[in-house]
Amino acid sequence: MLLNDASPVPDLPLSGCLVIEHASSVAAAYAGRQLAAMGATVVMLEPAAGSPLRRAPPLLEGSGESALFTYLALGKRSVVCDLEIPAGRELLQRELAQADIFIDDTPVHERNALGLEPAALAAAFPALVHVSVLPFGSNGPKAGWRAEEVNLLHAGGEGFLLPNGLSNELFPERAPLKIYGHFAGYQGGCAAALAGLSAWWAVPDTGGQYVDVSVQDAVLAVGAFALQRLGDGSLEHRTTRRFRYGGVFEARDGFIELLTLEDRQWGALVRLLGEPGWADDPALGDPLERSRRGDEINRHVRAWMARHDVEDIVRRAQELGVPAARYRTPADVLGGAHEGARGLFVPVALADGRTAQVLLAPFQFSSTPLQRPSAVPSLGEMGRAANAEETIS
Amino acid sequence: MSTQHAPHKTTTAAAHKSPLAGVRIADFTIHAAGPFCTHVLSQLGAECIKIESKTRPDAFRKPHAVYGRMAAATFDQVSANKLSVRLNLKSAEGVALAKRLVAVSDIAAESFRPGVMKRLGLGFDDLLLGKPDLVMLSLSSCGQSGPDSHFAGYAPLFGAWGGLGWMSGYTDGPPVEMRHVMDHSAGMHAATALMAALHQRRRTGRPQHVDLAAREVASAMIGDALVQASLGAEPARPGNGDLAMAPHGVYATAGVDRWLTVAVRNDAEWQALARVLNQPAAAADERFASASQRWHQRQALDVLMADWLADCDADAMAQRLQQAGVCAHVSWNMQDIADDAHLLARGALTQVSSADIPARLAVGAPARFSRSEGVGIRRLTPTLGQDEDYVFGELLGLGAAERADLEQREVIL
Repeated sequence: MLLNDASPVPDLPLSGCLVIEHASSVAAAYAGRQLAAMGATVVMLEPAAGSPLRRAPPLLEGSGESALFTYLALGKRSVVCDLEIPAGRELLQRELAQADIFIDDTPVHERNALGLEPAALAAAFPALVHVSVLPFGSNGPKAGWRAEEVNLLHAGGEGFLLPNGLSNELFPERAPLKIYGHFAGYQGGCAAALAGLSAWWAVPDTGGQYVDVSVQDAVLAVGAFALQRLGDGSLEHRTTRRFRYGGVFEARDGFIELLTLEDRQWGALVRLLGEPGWADDPALGDPLERSRRGDEINRHVRAWMARHDVEDIVRRAQELGVPAARYRTPADVLGGAHEGARGLFVPVALADGRTAQVLLAPFQFSSTPLQRPSAVPSLGEMGRAANAEETIS
Repeated sequence: MSTQHAPHKTTTAAAHKSPLAGVRIADFTIHAAGPFCTHVLSQLGAECIKIESKTRPDAFRKPHAVYGRMAAATFDQVSANKLSVRLNLKSAEGVALAKRLVAVSDIAAESFRPGVMKRLGLGFDDLLLGKPDLVMLSLSSCGQSGPDSHFAGYAPLFGAWGGLGWMSGYTDGPPVEMRHVMDHSAGMHAATALMAALHQRRRTGRPQHVDLAAREVASAMIGDALVQASLGAEPARPGNGDLAMAPHGVYATAGVDRWLTVAVRNDAEWQALARVLNQPAAAADERFASASQRWHQRQALDVLMADWLADCDADAMAQRLQQAGVCAHVSWNMQDIADDAHLLARGALTQVSSADIPARLAVGAPARFSRSEGVGIRRLTPTLGQDEDYVFGELLGLGAAERADLEQREVIL
């Protein structure tokens, strides 16, 4: 048992679950991160130089530490395990013998040499859930294709549809736009965590098995509505995929999202705007007519927004029942009273002595609150260097 | 594959081998995020019983003019696989039946505004009386606690509150509103949390209440920028740029509205790109010799890439670049996706049809399992109340006369 320093832990959703993570992609690391947040012991197997994610941007000013890795590695453990040498592959075998779930994002053609071939692992560890997370999955004609985030968001269909609304109106000739950061990777990681936990659920009946997750599939899954629209006869496009009225508005001191989908919200919006004369038109009582005249409505709303401050608009809108929100910066989110009250962030000690705030998890468990880890694991902190034979006991 | 409106017993037989066979969900969710959560669990084999009423039917059963849909949807992805029953939750007897349904389920899922379930008499504590080891999901805009918990919202607002909207956009432009992917991402995170809670229940026999705030999922998508901001930085909106890779972006090609995405990670890929594009001078150019140099020259490289790719066929070029080991993919619209052999081969796309639904494509299995079978879509959108014989009759043991009486008194409505 390699986790001989494990101490009793409070009851958490995944207490007792041991996950071995061999990840160089955001998707695989995010899968492990979610499981760690929910109480699993997640051990990262890292090469001697550390996971490439330790050097992935954005980097923190001053120390050069990776903000991305800080986020993705919170609450995990680290073991150095060089799979290119026999000792590392032996260590992998010992780790997997204890593990419930193995998360791996090694490209298919590299697996055999590293001792990561699924059939061999299935034979050696019949109760193991082996989750493969690759850009296009490990099966299918494009399993060998390479991709980064920008490729995958577009391969899954959502990239083509962005930006919609105001950005597209302002810059109609520009290239379609990716979502910030690693949205596609996070969907793939979430799908991997979900599929891994589902396969683990089935172990008593089915035994262990291999689970093939594709980031492209996950992007398509969350973008299913556009496929549904295609089936209905509409090919969505960023220029036409917009709310007929509502959307992003520029107020005097910032940006607002305002969206009224229900009839009663329209009446509330008219009150928010001060019941202007143009809104008196009885024809606008019909939602279909409002949709047809969306551009006209938006012109009026934009002109009104430009004369008011965000805070005033949002406060009044929420009072009236108009769904509206400030476009908040990261600093706004960090300093938010709501986030503070919900304990969304945990203070984490960085290697350079500073303390960062890191988002713990986007879900809470009321009966057994999640632990609040305070450190990002240093490379090989579990003290099991595998690339030197003599260190293996 | 052709998926028919299968009778329930066929569904159950097929589901025995799927990972979540035997897990039952009482599904009170509405809108998009919650229904996606329970839909994806149903794809994994859970039996999901959707609770609606004639007076409060799911949105897909009605026109949705804001989305340009002027009639009810014939196929609704997130309702697929689900069983449908009618219950009037404004009636005490309807609530009592809902509690009985929860008592024979493993999971209760809801996505009303915080407080609504409690007012209905269906709060977590109420439901525990009949199901002491209940796993419950409450999915909302802002969560069950905190000063903003009463705020209602939709996907674009989740993105705005959570910071993802601010960080997305052209560097010199406004923030960008998130759409259904934001809802569904919240739903997938909720499904993951529910699975963890089920494991906890199996291990301890104890109940759990999962509280998921969709805006926090949006924040989770900018976790790195939040770490930066906590140390005083003001992370910029990168648009299509990357903080390390160049060339990196979305480039116009010869086809109208046909864009090619390219990401060059290292020197070898840069050399391969230059070879494929027949640009030996660029390959030898000292300004582009290292990843760091290329990144500092990213604007110049973007100009060159635009020139080099302007006359190419995007699809052929993506193939050639991939063969050379360079990350490249066409910016696909949904027709491209529908035509893709890879997604079909994986079962990520699946063809569905029924007597009243012509063959069409839907999103299939969320993952491929080597041993579990039956993952994916097993039946299509239920008609309202379609499964009451099974749910009310078999599961709750209500007789025909009793059901007729409940219907006559609009408890079943």
